[in-house]
Amino acid sequence: MNRFARLTLALGAALTLGSSLAVTRGGTLVYGRYADSLFLDPVLNDANLDIWILTNLYDTLLQPSPDGRSVRPGLATRQVVSPDGKTMTLTLRPGIRFANGTPITAGDVKWSLDRARNPNNGAWNGSLASINSITAQGNTVVLNLKNPDPTLPAALATFNAAIMPQKLFTAAPGGTDAEKAKAFAEKPVGSGPFVLSEWKRGSYMVLKRNPYYWQRGEDGKALPYLDAVRFEIIPDDNTRILKLQAGELQGAEFIPLSRVAELRNNPRINMQLFPSTKVNNILMNNRPKLNSGAANPMSDVRVRQALNYATNKDALIQVVTYGTGKPMRSYMSATTPLFAAQPGYPYDVNRARQLLQAAGFGNGFEVTCLATSGSADDLALLTALQQMWGQVGVRLKIEQLDAATKTARYRANDFQMRTAAWTNDINDPSQITSYFAIYDNVESLHTGFKNAEVERLFAQSQAETSAINRASQYRRIQDIYMKAAPIVFLYETPYPVALAKNVRNFVQIPLGNNIFTATSLEK
Amino acid sequence: MRWTYVLTRLLQMIPTLILAAVLVFILVRLLPGDPASAILGDRATPEIVERTRRELGLDQPLVVQFARFAGRLLQGDFGISTSLKVPVLRLIAERLPVTLFLTVYAAVLGALLAVPLAVLAAVRRNTWVDGVIRAVFQVGLSLPVFYIALQLLTLLGARLGWFPIGGYGETFGEHLYYLFLPALTLGFNLAAVLMRTLRASVIEVLTAEYVDFARAKGLRSRVIMTRHVLRNAMISTVTLLGLNIGALIGGAVITESVFAIPGVGRLMVDAIFGRDYPVIQGLTLMFAVLVSLVFLMTDLVHARLDPRAQHA
Repeated sequence: MNRFARLTLALGAALTLGSSLAVTRGGTLVYGRYADSLFLDPVLNDANLDIWILTNLYDTLLQPSPDGRSVRPGLATRQVVSPDGKTMTLTLRPGIRFANGTPITAGDVKWSLDRARNPNNGAWNGSLASINSITAQGNTVVLNLKNPDPTLPAALATFNAAIMPQKLFTAAPGGTDAEKAKAFAEKPVGSGPFVLSEWKRGSYMVLKRNPYYWQRGEDGKALPYLDAVRFEIIPDDNTRILKLQAGELQGAEFIPLSRVAELRNNPRINMQLFPSTKVNNILMNNRPKLNSGAANPMSDVRVRQALNYATNKDALIQVVTYGTGKPMRSYMSATTPLFAAQPGYPYDVNRARQLLQAAGFGNGFEVTCLATSGSADDLALLTALQQMWGQVGVRLKIEQLDAATKTARYRANDFQMRTAAWTNDINDPSQITSYFAIYDNVESLHTGFKNAEVERLFAQSQAETSAINRASQYRRIQDIYMKAAPIVFLYETPYPVALAKNVRNFVQIPLGNNIFTATSLEK
Repeated sequence: MRWTYVLTRLLQMIPTLILAAVLVFILVRLLPGDPASAILGDRATPEIVERTRRELGLDQPLVVQFARFAGRLLQGDFGISTSLKVPVLRLIAERLPVTLFLTVYAAVLGALLAVPLAVLAAVRRNTWVDGVIRAVFQVGLSLPVFYIALQLLTLLGARLGWFPIGGYGETFGEHLYYLFLPALTLGFNLAAVLMRTLRASVIEVLTAEYVDFARAKGLRSRVIMTRHVLRNAMISTVTLLGLNIGALIGGAVITESVFAIPGVGRLMVDAIFGRDYPVIQGLTLMFAVLVSLVFLMTDLVHARLDPRAQHA
């Protein structure tokens, strides 16, 4: 009997080992989202809710790598940049098709990129602004540039540069591009791993596998492995988790960080923390005067540095992120290409006091920070900061506002401080830099920060052909920015996703895109 | 004639609706932030925000905007959602049946709970039975809806697996099954409100002279209860139920979020956060029509139960 048991065990083990080598095909993965997508056009939209789904429906010439640090071939197999850096030639992968079976031509590519870079279309055309003209012939597409552009590969791997079927789009009802986009986005056809098959707004969305997808799986057959992904919209965090625990979902996004430890201990759940590009900080108004005309203590760099020294990042990481975060070492996340870690501001109350004294605020001052109402994270963060800053005499007041009101106040520069978070949309440091450090874009996230050397280095880096030079330009920018401290540097946080144990190979990349291409449901 | 009464009441709704349309148009524009910023988020440059405002017609003077809104409304066009880019009417048509189903379901469950228990409590007043029933509903009245919802979900959904956690289902039978817990949550709260009035009225009617008379005539107590006592006691309860249907639609906002039900309550919340003016306006008007209709129906039922009310 004993020997028999052992034999069965051994046999069982051998069988599981055998089956773990072969990936399972088929099945529908049900994934819980916290909110529904709004509008599925890659060019005319902006919300992450759309972007993170679009990458399943559409494909780009190049793709971001799963670690977020580089780009790799997509619909194009080769990209060659001329020695002067002013033309880029892309070779299309042979035999590629849209999800309805029609071949993808160089004409579709030219048309899609021309639409994406049209200054009248959406908020994203700037990423392709260096393109002067596009020529398409056979299976090659040539981009003629106004100037060398080191960000172009990353831009071509970003959602707004998705390749769309020109004929289908132009045949959609409507007189203008925007009207056609509305009609086309109801039933979009792209060349991504999945195609939209059903969408009941606010309830669910079903993506079926695209039978013409070009990538091959481990078994040599076309990806994806799954038959379908069904997104269920479940706004309540607790309900999403309950549904996962009850087996009604195989994946749930945006798990509150407070519940990560508990779910990690659940043997039936695979709690994942995917590295992200998310940085959490407090934006400070750096201007000499506030909108009210009052003098602004934060216009003094010593005050801004003092607040950074008075912030105990490690304590905040424990209290607010339940130990899942790590301190920011630059305005950009450690997952952003060309990130260069800075010494930053270690927790040092005495240093903070000295700096405040030197700035003439030995007795401290009162400051108000805008927070998003209903956000438990904002409240935990700011009440902790009240205590920390109170030790150096800074009295922090919290003003809770709904998101739209908070944005309106911020756009009008009518704030002293506000909580903020950022995620990159592109695999390059230029996007975050243009927002955080360049005044002409949005007044450096409305902080009012402006630095001539940063502006000059950034302009150079945007046309820099040498990777080494570009890296050193970015090192310098990050150094200047850290010392000027226009923001309170807090922490980076991951993307918490809870999965059922049998889900293999789901990835949320640092840009946030949900990648189901090679995901499978093991039996 | 009753139909002239109904017609008059329907005509009286028109000024109410016009007032609602004007008010909501002004109120949503008083909110800080606008649809363009809400669609584009924190990062958009002022030029892009300006262009989007132009595309949405928000750069026009308020009077022009209102004239356009009113003109479209008269043609039955509620406009296009600024965030979802689909006609508001279509969104409402998709979502409203879900909320109505939930509301009616909750009202039915609430009444099914309240009526027998109220009668039992009244008949056995001041005994332990009465005490327990009243205590349970007192608790139901004081607990927040979302708390009851989560407890029901955890126990009957996750732990026992009897009911699905959230969702709406595809067929009528599935709707009944999927919406049972949310309807029970809302219904329980409603029952707690109805119970108190109904119990008090039943007690009052039970001591009335005509009931003594009926008893003296030798009618069986069940007949007395259904034909005389309940019919009279229900009058105030029906009015209360009607008034509470409005509140029920409001309560659906929280319930719909907790139970992941795609109804108009959630649509409204999303629209307010997204400053989706056409959706907020369309939904408010629809709520106004609905509540007016419910009040009208309440009055009609009231009149049926108490013929004196028709002339009042």
